[in-house]
Amino acid sequence: MAGVGEFVEADNAEAIITRIEHKSSKIESLLRQGKHVEALKTALEGSPPNTRDERCKSANWIVVHRALMAIRDLDALFSSLDPEYYDILMKYLYRGLSTGDRPTCDQCLRVHERLTQKAGLGCILRTLTDTVNTV
Amino acid sequence: MSAVSVHQLAQCITCHAWSPDHSMIALCPNNNEVHIYKMSEDKWERAHVLQKHDQIVSGIDWGSTSNKIVTVSHDRNSYVWSLEGSEWVPTLVILRLNRAALCTQWSPQENKFAVGSGAKTVCICYYEQENNWWVSKLIRKRHNSSVTSVSWHPNNILLATTSTDGKCRVFSTFIKGVDKRDSKASSSSEAKFGEQIVQLDLSYSWAFGVKWSPSGNTLAYVGHNSMIYFVDDVGPSPLAQNVALRNLPLRDVLFISEKVVIGVGYDCNPMVFAADESGIWSFVRFLVETKTVSSAPTYGSQVRRGLILTLENSSVFS
Repeated sequence: MAGVGEFVEADNAEAIITRIEHKSSKIESLLRQGKHVEALKTALEGSPPNTRDERCKSANWIVVHRALMAIRDLDALFSSLDPEYYDILMKYLYRGLSTGDRPTCDQCLRVHERLTQKAGLGCILRTLTDTVNTV
Repeated sequence: MSAVSVHQLAQCITCHAWSPDHSMIALCPNNNEVHIYKMSEDKWERAHVLQKHDQIVSGIDWGSTSNKIVTVSHDRNSYVWSLEGSEWVPTLVILRLNRAALCTQWSPQENKFAVGSGAKTVCICYYEQENNWWVSKLIRKRHNSSVTSVSWHPNNILLATTSTDGKCRVFSTFIKGVDKRDSKASSSSEAKFGEQIVQLDLSYSWAFGVKWSPSGNTLAYVGHNSMIYFVDDVGPSPLAQNVALRNLPLRDVLFISEKVVIGVGYDCNPMVFAADESGIWSFVRFLVETKTVSSAPTYGSQVRRGLILTLENSSVFS
């Protein structure tokens, strides 16, 4: 993780934004093909928690939000989502809950319930205690 | 060999320590006293009450060769207790702290002890023969927050600390006149008093419960983010591993061998971790599920608030 962090910090914000834009179009095409879980994985991959640039964080959140709201079948999501995504997904769920937007919160709570069953309370603790690598 | 037994010795136990032969246990029942219980006819009976501190006793350690007890308290003082006849006689050690003392441990040779405190400092205390007096030497300006636990390397020089600033650090505590320079002059034994050997920056939340493995090759500590960290090759290029827990965070750990660690925490059920042949650590199981296993190894970690004190009478771990 530390190695990734240094890399992102050295990267400039513009490059991250460009990458996220590229990711966004990939996700749109996955969603059109009905590959919702793949889209969410793509959105979570390479999330920029190590940068302090709020524009990058917001840009990635928009992408994750797009993929997250498209998820309908939670069984399918958790049968194919690898444990390595659990911690980062939990962070985005709390970001979603903090928006206060009704449909977003509804969806985040639905996913949160299932994710907690799957990943345990430890996953929530890692999200709440990490005030450095925020999403 | 041993069945786990449960003894309700107090409503709440803040800290405890075993006597050298494990026939007695010293504990603080969440007040300013230290109670020493002795096993007689399958029952734990209170043998002594040590009353000297003014506030909650936050750390106890019982020297296994010297048979001396060190206690530290929120009253910012420390006492070294030695058994004379049938009486425990206290010697005051002025730590020179302006915040509570939080934890303590005797060094392996028991000629020094370390105290972690809420004053962001660590005290290294040693006995001065000519003055008949325990001296406290401070490691200042290294921690950014309270020091939650201290652990001595078997070489009697290196000390590991964890802090609520999330970091685990290793210091040299070499004191002239107390410690001798190692003939095999390794880099760590050349360091001056208070010199930081390494700072481990693995956790972003409070860190607790640091321990060295019996050989001193591996370091383990826990974070309040439900993670446990294992560090090999502590030095310029440490090799770190972390294991994320499914459950609530741990508070303390104990090595029962080079490859097996017990962790205790807020799930009220000790967890067993083990390293495989390639040195990769993983969670094995909860301890309580295996009550029927007769060869369960002895452990004596600091069981914290909310946990019932569990005592085992099997062989003494070395």
